[in-house]
Amino acid sequence: MTETWTAPKATAAEWARRNLFNRWYNSALTVVLGVFLAWLAYKLVVVLFGIDYEIIRRNLLLFMVGEFPRDQIERPFISTILFGLAFGLGAATAAASARHAAAEADLAYAAPTPRMLVRRFWPLLALVAALLAFTRTVMPTVMALSTILGGAALYFGARGMPRSMVRWGWMGTLVLGIAAFAVIIVGVDGGWNAWGGFQINIFLAIAGIVIAFPFGLLLALGRRSSLPVVRYLSVTYIEFIRGVPLITLLLMGVFALGFFLPEALRPGPAIRVLIAIVMFEAAYVAEVVRGGLQAVPKGQLEAGQALGLPAWKTTRLIILPQALRATIPAMVGQFISLYKDTTLVNLVGMFDVLEVALVVNSQSDFIGKRLFFLTLAFAGVLFWVGSYTMSREAQRLEKKLGIGER
Amino acid sequence: MFKRHGRAVALLAALTLILAACTSSDDGGSSETTAGETETTAAASSGGSVLAAVQDRGKLNCGVNNGVPGFGFVDESGEHVGFDIDYCKAVAAAVLGDADAVEYVDLDAQQRFTALQSGEIDVLIRNTTWTATRDGSEGATFLHTTFYDGQGMMVKADAGIASLDDMANTSVCVQSGTTTELNLASRFDEGGIPYTPLTFAENPQIQEAFIAGQCEGWTSDKSQLAGLRSNWPEDQGGPEALVILDETFSKEPLGPVVRDGDSQWAQIIDWITLATITAEELGIDSSNVGSFGDTESTEIRRLLGLEITGDDGATSVFDPGLGLEPGWVVDVISAVGNYGEIFDRNLGSDTPLGLTRGVNALWTDGGLLYAPPYR
Amino acid sequence: MTSVSETTERTRPPFWRDLAVLRVAAQVAAVVLAALVLVYLGNNLVTNTRAQGITLGFDFLDQPLGVDIQLSPITASNTILQGLIRGWINTLALVIVGLPLLTVLGVVVGVARLSSNWLVAKLAALYVEIVRNIPPLLIILFVHNVVILGLPPKNEPASPLGWFSISNFVIAGPWFDASDGAGAFWTAVAVAAVAAVFVWRRRTKVNEATGEPHHRVAYSLGLVVLVGVIAFFVLGRPLSWSLPVFKDRLVTGGIQGLGQYFSMLLALVVYTASHVAEIVRGSIQAVPKGQSEAANALALSGFQRLRFVTLPQAARIAVPPIISQYLNYTKNTSLAIGVAYAEVTLIAFQAIGNGQPAPQLILLLMVGYLIFSLTISFVLNIVNRRMQLVSR
Repeated sequence: MTETWTAPKATAAEWARRNLFNRWYNSALTVVLGVFLAWLAYKLVVVLFGIDYEIIRRNLLLFMVGEFPRDQIERPFISTILFGLAFGLGAATAAASARHAAAEADLAYAAPTPRMLVRRFWPLLALVAALLAFTRTVMPTVMALSTILGGAALYFGARGMPRSMVRWGWMGTLVLGIAAFAVIIVGVDGGWNAWGGFQINIFLAIAGIVIAFPFGLLLALGRRSSLPVVRYLSVTYIEFIRGVPLITLLLMGVFALGFFLPEALRPGPAIRVLIAIVMFEAAYVAEVVRGGLQAVPKGQLEAGQALGLPAWKTTRLIILPQALRATIPAMVGQFISLYKDTTLVNLVGMFDVLEVALVVNSQSDFIGKRLFFLTLAFAGVLFWVGSYTMSREAQRLEKKLGIGER
Repeated sequence: MFKRHGRAVALLAALTLILAACTSSDDGGSSETTAGETETTAAASSGGSVLAAVQDRGKLNCGVNNGVPGFGFVDESGEHVGFDIDYCKAVAAAVLGDADAVEYVDLDAQQRFTALQSGEIDVLIRNTTWTATRDGSEGATFLHTTFYDGQGMMVKADAGIASLDDMANTSVCVQSGTTTELNLASRFDEGGIPYTPLTFAENPQIQEAFIAGQCEGWTSDKSQLAGLRSNWPEDQGGPEALVILDETFSKEPLGPVVRDGDSQWAQIIDWITLATITAEELGIDSSNVGSFGDTESTEIRRLLGLEITGDDGATSVFDPGLGLEPGWVVDVISAVGNYGEIFDRNLGSDTPLGLTRGVNALWTDGGLLYAPPYR
Repeated sequence: MTSVSETTERTRPPFWRDLAVLRVAAQVAAVVLAALVLVYLGNNLVTNTRAQGITLGFDFLDQPLGVDIQLSPITASNTILQGLIRGWINTLALVIVGLPLLTVLGVVVGVARLSSNWLVAKLAALYVEIVRNIPPLLIILFVHNVVILGLPPKNEPASPLGWFSISNFVIAGPWFDASDGAGAFWTAVAVAAVAAVFVWRRRTKVNEATGEPHHRVAYSLGLVVLVGVIAFFVLGRPLSWSLPVFKDRLVTGGIQGLGQYFSMLLALVVYTASHVAEIVRGSIQAVPKGQSEAANALALSGFQRLRFVTLPQAARIAVPPIISQYLNYTKNTSLAIGVAYAEVTLIAFQAIGNGQPAPQLILLLMVGYLIFSLTISFVLNIVNRRMQLVSR
């Protein structure tokens, strides 16, 4: 009878020897880096707990919503709750359809537990907790709790939905999402020109990618078209936009767009920036979709032709669904990119969160105190949490969909 | 079925959302356009009446600054405050009867004239200097100066700089897109003074660079410099650590600006600012503006739109034909006060800026403020 | 019986169903549509600019600039065109120095992420995950306001070793001083460098033919150094060191860079390198595991395995995405508006703010960046193609 040999569990010393001190240069590196890290950690702790956060505490609303009329401030709160609900419902619907798909294919489906979700989204939760620590009234805490609990309740409650309800799930998500936007537009003095702060970064990112998507799709299909003229037009547009920095398009939108349109059609500043962003994103989305289209095996196209489907039906029913599924991780990557690029709008005069981070240093109580590092770091953390969470989710999705596997 | 059309539905929903937003921002009033909306085109350079457009809309679109303490600034509750802001309120009070019916449009130095030309704003009150080029080729009309300023240079007291000629080989911070950088270049080049300009887009960054010693000189309008200096924190040495050099580079007359092509609107704005000056001359302020019902002074009666009884017993109310209802001056003064009150509230000795009237005093006190008679 | 011609004669479908006709019609329609749109926009442009009194030509390029440009011979009386050219030179200064730096940093961090040393791997991962997810403009502002402005103030620079002068305004180091004969010296060195390339190729061919060690680095470098030393002494020591000296508020001598330049360089190099590190890591992991196992079987050390087996194969996979990161770096130099570094976007921005026509200036900017991007793409795609060919 043979015994199975399992490696003995390493003691701390064993592990250290194997991973930190295995060769002379590794040992030296470990020592040097260890000292450096300890010093860094010490400095960080001293700074984090020692500085005065007053500048952020006092201006928290300014950071988040800019100059939004303060007498209608409950609207962004309601909007956040609605977003949380939309997110919960959307995640539930996605989980439900994944479960149905797995059942159909006789595969196992592991539903995430609350503990797993907390581990996945800990930066987001930590950020919310930190932000709440800066607030002075109870309203934000109530809002945050409602959002998180509401979204979670909806997620855990609705993910058991039967297949027939899935389409209502998607519809509900859409309605909630639109309502979340509508609450902060309709009936607000100034419409969306009243927006500012972080709200405007998020809005530009979401609106940018959503509106650019159909244009990008058209451009990608145009690029693969067999009609040379259409192909050249698409390629010219895509390569031109991809060769110029976003700031030049923003400059064009703000300064030159007015000249290309008759007076009746001239849009306001927020729309002009949005147009510039959409023009920019359409080219990049086109490239992402093109990658997805190339990933679809040619056999699929030929099968469609064998079935006698006309070209546009083949594209719509066979190619696109597969292609777009393949592009999801890259699209999330592009969205993250856009999300980070929205910080450029302060260079053309919009009052976004980065602008707030700069301007609050001119308030009479904070002038000359050199608090830039604090306000900039705060804005940085806001972006980092969103970006990191989304890129982690995209990686998980990529692994699940089996893309990129060799 | 729904899955297939989901994207189309989403797109349709997004478009509906945008259309809804466009129509709802009517009450906002900036130039969000939808089919059939002509309020901004009425105000465009084809000479349409801006006054009619503003009154139809019920809101004034005022182009302002959001980062200059004392003139145009956003405080922590998100409210716009400042000298220029008060003049926006004055225009709204005169034209619409409501000083709060203003849509403040924050503008960068670079965008301000584009916004004016395109009709996005009705009037630009954003510490803008009156120059010939701006009158000529920027399609703008400048109105009566509200603040006579000049460009100056601020240095640290211990830098050993007594005058501009001492500034050889220094670095100077300046904001881009302003007349400030042009004046700096011409003054220093003419004086043969070698220097390095650092052109930032935002004031807070200039402040950081100045504190850190990256630039030794900070040039801007003297009013802004005075404000910054008086706010200087104690741990950096307080106001005494900074010196504003005596020499004034340039004349910087600041005032409201409107678009070329609508002379009625230009005159209205002009006389609103002049009214605040005249009111101070006549001793009318926000506290006593309602108490002149029995005054004998025809001048005051004319200004406030009160009934004037002629020698023959007939009564009349003076209306110079500007297009405003007589009594508009009362609305303005009750809302924001006379020039002196506006100055003291935003720039005076009780404020962080702590400016003295200087050349911005009435002509009777030796300053430059002289209003033509309202008759 | 039907004749052959009857059954094989092709009947064309009616023209509204004829694919060939439809294709042509669709393309004509596309061209007409695009032309209409362009004409409409162009027409609006002409009428609107005329109404505002703005000219559409490029004559404004001869107008005086009105401002001086930092650390350059351009003054307010130079033309706008000269100002823009100076801006391009400044952009080039960032690109030429930055691209090699970020490549080196990116490769080092990417490899470090896979190190057997747990601490090194985790630190590299921390750096990448943190920096990659922050917007570049934020990093630029942060580096400028916290790091660069943290250096000694302009008038009290630090001079470590007497060779450098470091302040938040300018950072200067030692450099060659040009004197007579320097031109001849550098020409000699350049010629030697070209010869060295041929020596390199020759030694590589010899190595492939006979198997004897090529020592090509020693041969090429040796040639350049030898020529350099001989030229140096023959021409009577034409080179000397120039050290930066601080006097009268100014640093003279040596090679200098503005604090803003270093803010941009540091921030963008650190940011882009984090992306390159991810790419490098991904491409190393994409090399089939069998390769590294074979290398181990051949008793190659870790370093040799990396150098001879893993990296060459990983490089092939990594080059296309790295090219796009280079392009991103080049485009991100336009963010210098935030920190007052006078590259071309800032100069154009200034000109627009001072009343120059915006549409033409923005067009010039875009075309310029496009040329930049296309050049870098083109050159690096040649490199890419050569790498693919070598692998066969």
